[in-house]
Amino acid sequence: MKQLLNYLILGLNMLLLTACEKEITVDLPPGKASLVVEASINQQFPNLNYVYISRTIDYFNPDLSLNGVSNALVYITPGSILGNDTIWNDSARIQMVDISTIPGIDLLLPGFSGIYFNPSISPQIGVPYKLEITAENERIIGYTTIPEVVEIDTVFWRQEFDSQEGDTDMYVTFEFTDGPNQNNYRLAIQNGFNPYLLGWGSASQFRTFDDAFLNDGVRPYSFFRPFNFGDTLSLYLTSVGRKEYLFWESFARAANNGGPFATPISVKSNIQGAIGSFTGYGVSFRSVIIK
Amino acid sequence: MILGIDLNAQTISGFVKDSASGEALVGAIIKTIDGKKGASTDVKGYYRIDLTAGIYTFQITYLGYLTQQRTITVSTQNISLNFSLSSNAVSTKEAVITGERNSKNVTSTEMSRVELSGEQVKTLPVIFGEPDVLKAITLLPGIKSGGEGGTGFYVRGGGPDQNLILMDDAVIYNASHLLGFLSVFNTDAVRNIEVIKGGMPANYGGRLSSILNVNLREGDEQKYKVNGGIGLISSRIMAEGPIQKGKSAFMVAARRTYIDALVKPFLTEEQKSNGYYFYDFNAKAHIHLNEKNKLSFSGYYGRDIFNFKSPTNQLVKFQIGWGNAAASLKWFHSFNKKFYSNTIFIYNRYDLNNKFEFGENGFQISSGVEDLNIKQDFYFTPNKKHSIKFGGQYIYHTFKPGIATGQVGTITINETINKQYAHEWAFYAMDEFKLGNRFTFNAGIRAVFFTQVGPYTERIFDSEGLEIGQGKTYDKSDVIITYPGLEPRLAGTYLINSNTSVKASFTRTYQFLHLATTSGAQFPADLWVPSSKLVKPQLAYQYALGVFKNFNENLYETSIEAYYKPMYNQIEFKPGANLFFNQNLENEMIFGEGLSYGVELFAKKKFGKLTGWIGYTWSKSTRQFDEINQGKPYFFRYDRTHDISLVASYQFNKKWSGTLVFVYGTGNATTLPTSRFAYSPGYDLIDNEPKYSFIDVYDKINDFRLPAYHRMDVSFTYLQKQTQKFESSWNFSIYNLYNRANPYFIYFVPDLEELRIKAYMVYLFPILPSVAWNFKF
Repeated sequence: MKQLLNYLILGLNMLLLTACEKEITVDLPPGKASLVVEASINQQFPNLNYVYISRTIDYFNPDLSLNGVSNALVYITPGSILGNDTIWNDSARIQMVDISTIPGIDLLLPGFSGIYFNPSISPQIGVPYKLEITAENERIIGYTTIPEVVEIDTVFWRQEFDSQEGDTDMYVTFEFTDGPNQNNYRLAIQNGFNPYLLGWGSASQFRTFDDAFLNDGVRPYSFFRPFNFGDTLSLYLTSVGRKEYLFWESFARAANNGGPFATPISVKSNIQGAIGSFTGYGVSFRSVIIK
Repeated sequence: MILGIDLNAQTISGFVKDSASGEALVGAIIKTIDGKKGASTDVKGYYRIDLTAGIYTFQITYLGYLTQQRTITVSTQNISLNFSLSSNAVSTKEAVITGERNSKNVTSTEMSRVELSGEQVKTLPVIFGEPDVLKAITLLPGIKSGGEGGTGFYVRGGGPDQNLILMDDAVIYNASHLLGFLSVFNTDAVRNIEVIKGGMPANYGGRLSSILNVNLREGDEQKYKVNGGIGLISSRIMAEGPIQKGKSAFMVAARRTYIDALVKPFLTEEQKSNGYYFYDFNAKAHIHLNEKNKLSFSGYYGRDIFNFKSPTNQLVKFQIGWGNAAASLKWFHSFNKKFYSNTIFIYNRYDLNNKFEFGENGFQISSGVEDLNIKQDFYFTPNKKHSIKFGGQYIYHTFKPGIATGQVGTITINETINKQYAHEWAFYAMDEFKLGNRFTFNAGIRAVFFTQVGPYTERIFDSEGLEIGQGKTYDKSDVIITYPGLEPRLAGTYLINSNTSVKASFTRTYQFLHLATTSGAQFPADLWVPSSKLVKPQLAYQYALGVFKNFNENLYETSIEAYYKPMYNQIEFKPGANLFFNQNLENEMIFGEGLSYGVELFAKKKFGKLTGWIGYTWSKSTRQFDEINQGKPYFFRYDRTHDISLVASYQFNKKWSGTLVFVYGTGNATTLPTSRFAYSPGYDLIDNEPKYSFIDVYDKINDFRLPAYHRMDVSFTYLQKQTQKFESSWNFSIYNLYNRANPYFIYFVPDLEELRIKAYMVYLFPILPSVAWNFKF
């Protein structure tokens, strides 16, 4: 709503040809440094099981890189539920390895640092997982579980001729069946020749939503903006836990915060000792060529 | 009490009216020529003076009207005497504004109160040719504008929801059109506005910071008139006239923007179905049933409409509409010369409706607040030393935080955020009385009760915002919680001499309604929520002290006022709170305290060719919440250390007049990020580079000051034609004369080539000339 109103008010100003801007100097005091963690596991794609560790930097620091943190000890441990307790299976604990220590990785993935990965981890639906990190003398801990997968049912589209562009617009809708239980979703959309993601952040777009408003039924999801005829569209409909959802929902608003009515938005971390999240994704994947 | 009555005293009383329209003149001065006895008319234009038998010459004065003198013999009978004053401008064909040479500002107990007429508002320079009462009041000391071009206002460090905005007694919950660029008040329909920013008398309550009374024109009882104006983005018209000459009259007014029509030629066929516009209607009528009874009705309806149809996706369209509706019926009854009453029935509503459609799917979400209100005021003047008011008010509030209906896929949407209902009662009594010749006091007490009632079902949520069950269910007659409160009000004036006084006031006020917003601006989707079990009423105390002095036979008014205002149970929302369609809204709230204090200087030249005022305010306003800013106090967003307003009007000749406005304010306090981090990394195989998002981190709240706000505006009014039957004038305005780039907001962009974060300040309005044509016939 606020986003919409931002557009409306700026649109009105543009109509009146009045809004202007100029570059200014802002002198901000340095912020408090903090570690940042993004840990992701899922039941289907091994390349999306990774932990990324970085640190915050002063706002006007010219460093625009990932600012990753190396030399951390990172472990993911599966557990089992026994009554109200969780028993951690230390013998199944897996250490995630800093990929920057792999020879030649700089050539393959230039610009990456602070990524911890282990192809042997094989997370399961419904199993609790514990994340433990020791980095720069800080201890970080987090918990997650991969929820049941909600499958993508059908994907269909509609063509409209775009007279301005002289081409065909493809409006895509997919359906999924939301159950009676509370569900939280994060949808990643990859639009390109390669349907696979190299890190969640490589997706073209994201949507984060829950079923508070639309619950228990066949739920269509329509993309308001068109795709091109012949595009490869890959959909990752993921189910996430509630705490994980609250993090990604706040992340989405923080990442799109701007305009005259922006308010400071802090992400709602679900880990202790750092900013960030540990998310178990129950992934339903579908890739289609829309033509 | 009996001892205080002069047994030889007789009473002279009556009404002061506009001779042309028959409208009551509020605040007109009736005094003996020697200045020893006098009175000011009340909201009904009524006055009353106690005199001993004798011959008196009275002088009756009112701003912008010809002064009258009348000699009266007072014997043993009470005398009823009405006065009709003629407008100075019409009668003399001179537009020189003369002021009342009275010292009411010095002698009365009122402080922290200002009044402007609709006509005064029209003379001020305006942006886009649109005069606006809410923008005009921000030129007064202690009242700050929310931002560039906005109608939001902040009084003595209080929030925007702490101002009670009344249009003919009806509450206007969202007083803005065009997202705050214009207010809902059509200046052609406005008779006068009154702002009480402190020392609130006991007959007012419900908000912590101020009362803004917008009184609409009563309608001309003698002849038909039409007023109007054509501006750059909207036009307005007002018509008034007698229903039965000398006995009853009507006034109707309308306004509509035509931005949508203006830009239509520049839009493509697909875009033409999109648009934004607002409109509003006012209607008012009154009838004098007899000497003792008068009925008046006032109504308002206005809406903003935003339509959108996707230029590419034919299936996608939505409409957002919001607005106020209000109606009030007032019965004035005079029991006798000393005792009369006002009974008012009021209905008011604010609502927002969103309709979204995408093909076969669609839904509608609405929200709002609605009040049914009855108010009873009694005015009793037993003798010359006492002026007593007492009465009560009852409001039945209905809060509708959200209702959603629609169909998406196989899912039928029928969701309602729990409605809430409340009774709000207030009873008050106050007496303005004199102790000797130098002391005047206004002592009052207001007892308030706020009761949240059923039907209501408590819903229970876990720490993750999920509903985990239902708590107690309340039926319609069940009381959920009651908050009683006592609000003592005290104001006193010590008259040092005939043109100098010292005044002091103390008030305690409760506020039971709260605005749910995370932004500084008021949005259509902002919700009003009631006090409840979790949400305690807001409470404020205000102490004010002032010195008032007039010079040169009241040609110049000056004052200095200091205030100190602690506020409790202030409401904020958790950082990142989502307020939209949130059943768990109360758990997004946090509660803290506020403190505001300052000094206001004011000097005004009231009449002559040059008129105007200059105001300066030094102030500080802070908030403290345990959950924000590590629990440390921080500056309120609209804390403004220095604030200057200068308004100067000059009458060059019969045809030309001009007004200059200068404003200066310390920049708003704002929260800027102190650090950032990269998140959600991935590798883009097409561009062969890493992808990630930057997220900002905020350590301190409102720790950064935007650049100072200042600008100068000028306007010139050319009286093109003025006859008894027709008058037209042109208003030429230049907004932001020296093209100051005033901050609207700041945003940051990473420059990947220069490897640095760049800060940009957006400013809305450079130097902007505008023209408007106004007419009357």
